[in-house]
Amino acid sequence: MEAATANVTQGNVTHGTEQIANELAGKYLTFSLGDEDYGVGILSVREIIGVMDITAVPHTPSYIKGVINLRGRVIPVLDLRLKFDMEPQDYNERTCIIVVEVQGQTAPVQVGMVVDSVSEVLNIIAEEIEPPPSLGSSGETDNILGMAKIKGDVKILLHVDRVVGEGVLSRFEEAGQEGN
Amino acid sequence: MANGEKPLSDILDEMALQILMIEPGDLSVVGELLDLVEKILPGYASEDIPVVIQQMANTFRGSLEKLIMGELDDSAENYELLGECISRMQEIARKEGVADEATILAFSATLKKIGFAFDEKELLGVAGFGLAESGEAQPEVEAAEVLSEQEPVAPAKAQPMPDFLQDKELLSGFIEEAFEHLESIEVNVISLEQSPDDMDIINNIFRPFHTIKGVSGFLNLKTINKLAHATENLLDDVRNGKREMDSGVIDIVLTVGDVLRSMVENIKDVLEGGPDKYRDTDITGYVAEIKQLQLGEGAAPAQTAEEPPVAPAPQAEAEPVISSPASPQAAAPAPPRQPSKSAAPAQALPPQQAAPAKGPAQGAPAQAQRKIGAAIKVDVEKLDALVNAVGELVIMQSLVRQNPLVSRIADPKLTKDLSQLTKITSDLQRTAMSMRMVPIKQTFDKMIRLVRDLSKKSGKKVDLIMEGAETEIDRNMVDSIYDPLVHMMRNSVDHGIQPPDEREKHGKPGTGTVYLRAYQKGGSMLIEIEDDGEGLNSKKIRQKAIERGIISESESLSEYDLNNLVFVPGFSTADKITDVSGRGVGMDVVKKAVEKLRGKVEVQSQPGKGSLFVIRLPLTLALIDGIMVRVGRERYIIPTIAIQESMHPEREKYNTIHGKGETLLVRGELVPIVRLYEMFGVEPTFKDPCEAIVVVIENEGRKRALMVDELLGKEEVVIKSLGGLQDIQGVAGGTILGDGHVGLILDLAGIVSSTKDH
Repeated sequence: MEAATANVTQGNVTHGTEQIANELAGKYLTFSLGDEDYGVGILSVREIIGVMDITAVPHTPSYIKGVINLRGRVIPVLDLRLKFDMEPQDYNERTCIIVVEVQGQTAPVQVGMVVDSVSEVLNIIAEEIEPPPSLGSSGETDNILGMAKIKGDVKILLHVDRVVGEGVLSRFEEAGQEGN
Repeated sequence: MANGEKPLSDILDEMALQILMIEPGDLSVVGELLDLVEKILPGYASEDIPVVIQQMANTFRGSLEKLIMGELDDSAENYELLGECISRMQEIARKEGVADEATILAFSATLKKIGFAFDEKELLGVAGFGLAESGEAQPEVEAAEVLSEQEPVAPAKAQPMPDFLQDKELLSGFIEEAFEHLESIEVNVISLEQSPDDMDIINNIFRPFHTIKGVSGFLNLKTINKLAHATENLLDDVRNGKREMDSGVIDIVLTVGDVLRSMVENIKDVLEGGPDKYRDTDITGYVAEIKQLQLGEGAAPAQTAEEPPVAPAPQAEAEPVISSPASPQAAAPAPPRQPSKSAAPAQALPPQQAAPAKGPAQGAPAQAQRKIGAAIKVDVEKLDALVNAVGELVIMQSLVRQNPLVSRIADPKLTKDLSQLTKITSDLQRTAMSMRMVPIKQTFDKMIRLVRDLSKKSGKKVDLIMEGAETEIDRNMVDSIYDPLVHMMRNSVDHGIQPPDEREKHGKPGTGTVYLRAYQKGGSMLIEIEDDGEGLNSKKIRQKAIERGIISESESLSEYDLNNLVFVPGFSTADKITDVSGRGVGMDVVKKAVEKLRGKVEVQSQPGKGSLFVIRLPLTLALIDGIMVRVGRERYIIPTIAIQESMHPEREKYNTIHGKGETLLVRGELVPIVRLYEMFGVEPTFKDPCEAIVVVIENEGRKRALMVDELLGKEEVVIKSLGGLQDIQGVAGGTILGDGHVGLILDLAGIVSSTKDH
């Protein structure tokens, strides 16, 4: 169980493949985006909610859908499809918001991620995990901890802090500097 | 270079730079200098910084502290000398900590020239020029038990931290208590200056020292104990009529109060940050000074007062609670030892005491009343959590009530129960909110000392009269309002009140008066600072504003508008830089700080008669009064305080400039129009400004007409942050609306600055 949290901060390239796999082993919440399956470490997941009315926030990247009221707390929501430059899709009854908690600048922050549908919680063992493939210099794999191959299916294990970190927590420079 | 800290030379260079920038009166730079020097203090510095330099830094810091407290002269010469000290430190740093005696002696001599007394033998001792007596200074502390994990940073000085961390609960209780005591000491001492023979006030000063002495002894805080004890003895002499309560005693009591405060603060740091934070304070100088006061001027032999007074400790600890001047219990422990000669007049004149004591004396009974009610201390976080939860409760219950299914139920019992629930929740909300409120007294009390010091320094006579110190203010606001208040008080004493002779020339009493008032009015809290000084010179302001290009020659402004130009950035009314108010800049800073708290500040003034500054603040930071507006499908909240008016614009008042910049003529003024839908990328109902509604807002003196589709009504909303989303232009935060959706609160400062003036 510990491994899932440890890996988040230590996706270090210098480790041996095996070691990475060992660190990554643990329970993952899996979900789908289009034809792809993804997993996020269960320890960062706080809850799963249905899609609710989202209040748009101006001057944010398009993948930030806005903010929602999560039992009195205002939390930002980002659309993972848009974040990963996939075709947008209208929300339906299977669309879910996975609320994850990541470390913000000062305190932990909760952020919602819109996904097509949530599948199940899987216990992924080290043997099933491979390091992320290199897709050239585009840096696309920064968000990925590793690939899990389970019975022929491939699940992409996401580095939640990075996905959310650059998606939400970083300042929106272009928007913020127009003024002054 | 542990922790990736800056190398020593960088720190020293930075210090040297800072000292160049200091101008007398600008203590903020001294503060920055203090921050810098703290990085190279014993116990803070990384280990590769030579011990000598650490010790020099320590001494240097001592002199800075004295400067800040006003004990050393805040003059250009002194800063030059301090600069010299820094270059000595740089010199030694260049030689990698190999200090020669001459440099250290030069360093010491320079510091002494400034008027900072200290023992250079210690410095020399550290540097290896061993002197036999160097160990003598702290025999008592050395005897104390040494903590095993004591850091070896300053081996030559070997200041073991006394072992006082055994009972952290007790210790943190003591810290809280000590701060309260020290504050009450300060207030009482200052009221004592106005009625030096008032035995009640002397007792009120004596008792907190006694309590601090007792508890610190129990907790093994030896230095604090020793200093408090010495002061207590001195005060006991005063109580017993062995000596007069003169300015010497008052000064040393104030100084000791400050020293004790910094020591207690250090204990607090230790408690939070571990034993590494421990900083030894050398109190021998103060103790010696007290002893000298006792021996030198006190008529009777001082040593007889070694024993604490007859009043048993527990009683004395309970005593500060009842401190109203007329209270018979308060006087009870004292009489047996009071010689009748000084006690009699004080006791005989209770009704008159109140009059000369004015502000400070007014404060004292209020504090006593506050303390009488039983109180518990609660963690602020818990309190905030409670307030948040209650906010949710209020929203949830309104959601339940508005649920169409529920509202269709025609059961009288349910209707009754629901309205009962509403009442309870709103009661609960009010109570929860009030728990965050504290009297503004604490902040006001600090002004007493400030005015005292300022008037002494400037040679003006100033009475401070405080009213409404019991008015409550959101505790989150207390800290933020302190700086602006200090600035304005300084302004009033420095620029407002004239010197006595000049006042008399104008037929005013030689002593000026500054009023500090607080009261609540119409959902706002108002703080007023009024002086009977010179008043603002609107002609001069006008002239200057034209010079600075703030207004044009042809503009005609009312007296009121002219006076309020002092809040415009870059404006200053002070002709010359004075020692007290620094460069005279800063009213714009006050305005900014107040606007950050969503407040307003304005000034009214009559030339020759005085000026009145009014700060208007919301009662609480958690709530915001706003007007909800609709733009397309979105709803936004505009803070009411900034709204001037709203209207359907008339066609003839709408203008464009070069077909682009749009303005609206509002009461003779061209106000730029901001199309909110464009700014926020929303599809609006109206694109023609004359069909839509414009809301005219003002922020920092700049106006904008915001175009919206509809006004939805006034709403008081709870402000929330937008989770991890930060610094979004034009959005100050979010709130949860009555229907459970999130509404965005507009950040008018951002909107104004992102659109151009014309």
